[in-house]
Amino acid sequence: MAGNKGRGRAAYTFNIEAVGFSKGEKLPDVVLKPPPLFPDTDYKPVPLKTGEGEEYMLALKQELRETMKRMPYFIETPEERQDIERYSKRYMKVYKEEWIPAGPKPKKAKDAGKGTSLTNTADVLKKIEELEKRDDGEKSDEENEDKEGSKEKSKEGDDDDDDDAAEQEEYDEEEQEEENDYINSYFEDGDDFGADSDDNMDEATY
Amino acid sequence: MDEIALRLPSTMTQAEIKLCSLLLQEHFGEIVEKIGVHLIRTGSQPLRVIAHDTGTSLDQVKKALCVLIQHNLVSYQVHKRGVVEYEAQCSRVLRMLRYPRYIYTTKTLYSDTGELIVEELLLNGKLTMSAVVKKVADRLTETMEDGKTMDYAEVSNTFVRLADTHFVQRCPSVPTTENSDPGPPPPAPTLVINEKDMYLVPKLSLIGKGKRRRSSDEDAAGEPKAKRPKHTTDNKEPIPDDGIYWQANLDRFHQHFRDQAIVSAVANRMDQTSSEIVRTMLRMSEITTSSSAPFTQPLSSNEIFRSLPVGYNISKQVLDQYLTLLADDPLEFVGKSGDSGGGMYVINLHKALASLATATLESVVQERFGSRCARIFRLVLQKKHLEQKQVEDFAMIPAKEAKDMLYKMLSENFMSLQEIPKTPDHAPSRTFYLYTVNILSAARMLLHRCYKSIANLIERRQFETKENKRLLEKSQRVEAIIASMQATGAEEAQLQEIEEMITAPERQQLETLKRNVNKLDASEIQVDETIFLLESYH
Repeated sequence: MAGNKGRGRAAYTFNIEAVGFSKGEKLPDVVLKPPPLFPDTDYKPVPLKTGEGEEYMLALKQELRETMKRMPYFIETPEERQDIERYSKRYMKVYKEEWIPAGPKPKKAKDAGKGTSLTNTADVLKKIEELEKRDDGEKSDEENEDKEGSKEKSKEGDDDDDDDAAEQEEYDEEEQEEENDYINSYFEDGDDFGADSDDNMDEATY
Repeated sequence: MDEIALRLPSTMTQAEIKLCSLLLQEHFGEIVEKIGVHLIRTGSQPLRVIAHDTGTSLDQVKKALCVLIQHNLVSYQVHKRGVVEYEAQCSRVLRMLRYPRYIYTTKTLYSDTGELIVEELLLNGKLTMSAVVKKVADRLTETMEDGKTMDYAEVSNTFVRLADTHFVQRCPSVPTTENSDPGPPPPAPTLVINEKDMYLVPKLSLIGKGKRRRSSDEDAAGEPKAKRPKHTTDNKEPIPDDGIYWQANLDRFHQHFRDQAIVSAVANRMDQTSSEIVRTMLRMSEITTSSSAPFTQPLSSNEIFRSLPVGYNISKQVLDQYLTLLADDPLEFVGKSGDSGGGMYVINLHKALASLATATLESVVQERFGSRCARIFRLVLQKKHLEQKQVEDFAMIPAKEAKDMLYKMLSENFMSLQEIPKTPDHAPSRTFYLYTVNILSAARMLLHRCYKSIANLIERRQFETKENKRLLEKSQRVEAIIASMQATGAEEAQLQEIEEMITAPERQQLETLKRNVNKLDASEIQVDETIFLLESYH
C-alpha cells in the first residue's frame, strides 16, 4: 500500500532477524543490471586432468572433427565467390563423393504434381525389394512417392569405397525433385492429385 | 530472430538446444544443423512442414534428414492417414561429445582393431559388418610396415567379441513379412528388432586382406589421377550381409563408464582390494542387471570368491572381512541382502550414483566458493534442514560470513529455502526458514550449467580459430606448397625459403592458438565426464 511510504521507517512484515540482518542494519544495494559477462572469480579453476588417456582423447577429438568435415555426410553450404583464385586451392581441394543412402533405383517415371514425403535410408532394403516387384506402372499414391528415394539398387552397399565415404551409386536425384513443388504445397500429405491415375485413390481430393 | 520460442513443445532447455546446434553444425554443416535444430525445437513434423517452416528446399531437407537418420539422430513414424513424421533425439545429439571417450575405451578393452571398428561405426552411423571389416582392415594395413597386411579374419573376430559383449548391436530392420498383404505399402517401414537378434552376428566367411592406399590415389595432396568414376562399376561382389546394419551400443558404454566411476570411487575411499572386489561384483552382474536397476542381483560371497581375478590371492576370510567393511560403510555402495551362501551382497547402484552426483556438487561448491562454503554445504546436506542460526553454530563460522555464503549458494541454486509456518496465517515473523539441499534439483541445475559451459567452450574455440583464420590458411597453404614441392623433388634451400614465408612472430601466434584450442578441447571432454555423472543420477 502506498499509505505508509515516507512516514517513519519501513516496517517489515516479518522478523528481519530470521534472515540474518540485525535491526537497523543497512541492507545491501539493489542490483539493477545483469551480472557482468566475465565476472571476476575469487578462486582459480583447478587445472585440467592430464594423462595418457586424456591426451589420446584430445588428439582423437581433433582428428574426428577434421575427418567429419571431409565425409560425405557433411553437407557444404555453397561458398561465396572468392575474389582471387588461389593457386594452392587446387592442391587443397578435397574430393568428396556424394553420399546417397542405399536403396533400389527409382524405376518409375516421375509423377507430376505428387508431393514427396520422405526419403528412406539404408534400413528399408527388404521393403524396397517388395515394392519394386509391385511397382511397375505409375502409381499416384503418395505412399509410393515416399519410396522414390529408396528405390535404388542397394547391391553396392558400403564395400565399394576406398575412402571413408559411404556408398555411392548411380542415383538420379532429378527423380526426387518435383517440378511443381510449389503447387504441391496446396495439398496435405495423404491427398491424391486427381489428374494422375485414379485407380488407387483412397482419399478425397480437395 | 526467433531465439526463444514462445511455445516449446519439446522438453529441451535453451542451453541444450544451443549445444545441439553447435555440435550439428560442426559435424554436419549448416543445412543439417538448421533441420536438426528445427526438429528439436518443434517436436515431430512431416517433411513438407519442415521444408516450409525452415524455408529450405525439399531436396535439401531430404538430404539433411538422410544424414540425421543415418546417424541415429532422427527417427520417423507413420501416423494415421499415412503421414510420416520425423522426430529428433536431442539427447543423442549431445552424445557426439562423447565419441572420443567411446573410441578410447574400446581401445583399452579391444586394442586398435576394436578401436577402429567403433570409430567407423560412430563416423558412419550404421554399417554392415562386411563394410566395417573391410574399412578397418584397410586402415590397419596403412599403419603396418611394407608388405604386411591385416587379415579380415582377425578384424571379424574382434567384431564378434564386441557383439558378444554388447558394445555393438544390430540396428532395427525391415520386418520380413509374408508378401500376402494386398493393401498398399505404408509410406515408411516400421523397423523392428528382436531382442534375441540384437547381438547375433551373421554367418559370414569374410576372406581377404586389407588394401594399402597407393600414393597416387591420395586425395589430400592433389586431385586423383583420373577423375574417379562412380564406384558402381567396381567391386561387383554381392554383399553377403546386405540389410543387416550395426551401430555402436552407447548404453553399454555408459554402463562401463558407470562401473568405472564406482570402482574408482571405492578405490579412493578405501583401497585397491576393495575396489577389485567391487569390480568383480559389477562384472558378474553385467548381463544379469539392467542399467536402470537400483541394485544388482544378489551375489553370494562364495560366488564372488570364485570369480575374483586369477592373480588375486586373498583368502575367503579376508574376502568376507572386506565385504563386511564395504557393507558397513556409510556410503552404502555395497549392501548385505541375506546370509545364505556365506552372505549375499548387492551393489547399490542408485545410491552409488547419488553419492557420485553429491560429491560432484560438493566439489563444485568448494572450487567456486571456497572450503568454508563447502563446509556449510556438507553440513546442510548432512542435517537436511537448518536454520540460519543453526548453521552459524554448527559450522563455527561468524554470522556475517555464514549469511553471505548461504545467500550466495541460494542465489546460485545450490541450496533452497524451505518455509515452515508456525501459524496458519503463514505470517513471515512466525515462520521458520530452513536451508536445505535438494540434491536432485541441484544436480539438474549443475547439469544445465555444464551444457552452457560446453557451448561457451565451443564458441570460444570457434572464435579463436576464426580470429586467426588468415594465418591458419596461410600456414595450410605453405604446408600444401611444401608437400607438393617435396613430391616433385625440390631442393632443401627452396623448401627453406617457402618455410620462411611464415615469420617467427607468426609461428608464435600459431603456437599460442594451438595451445588455446587444445585447452578448450580438453575442457570440453572433461565437462562431458561431469555431464555423464549427473545424467546418470536422476
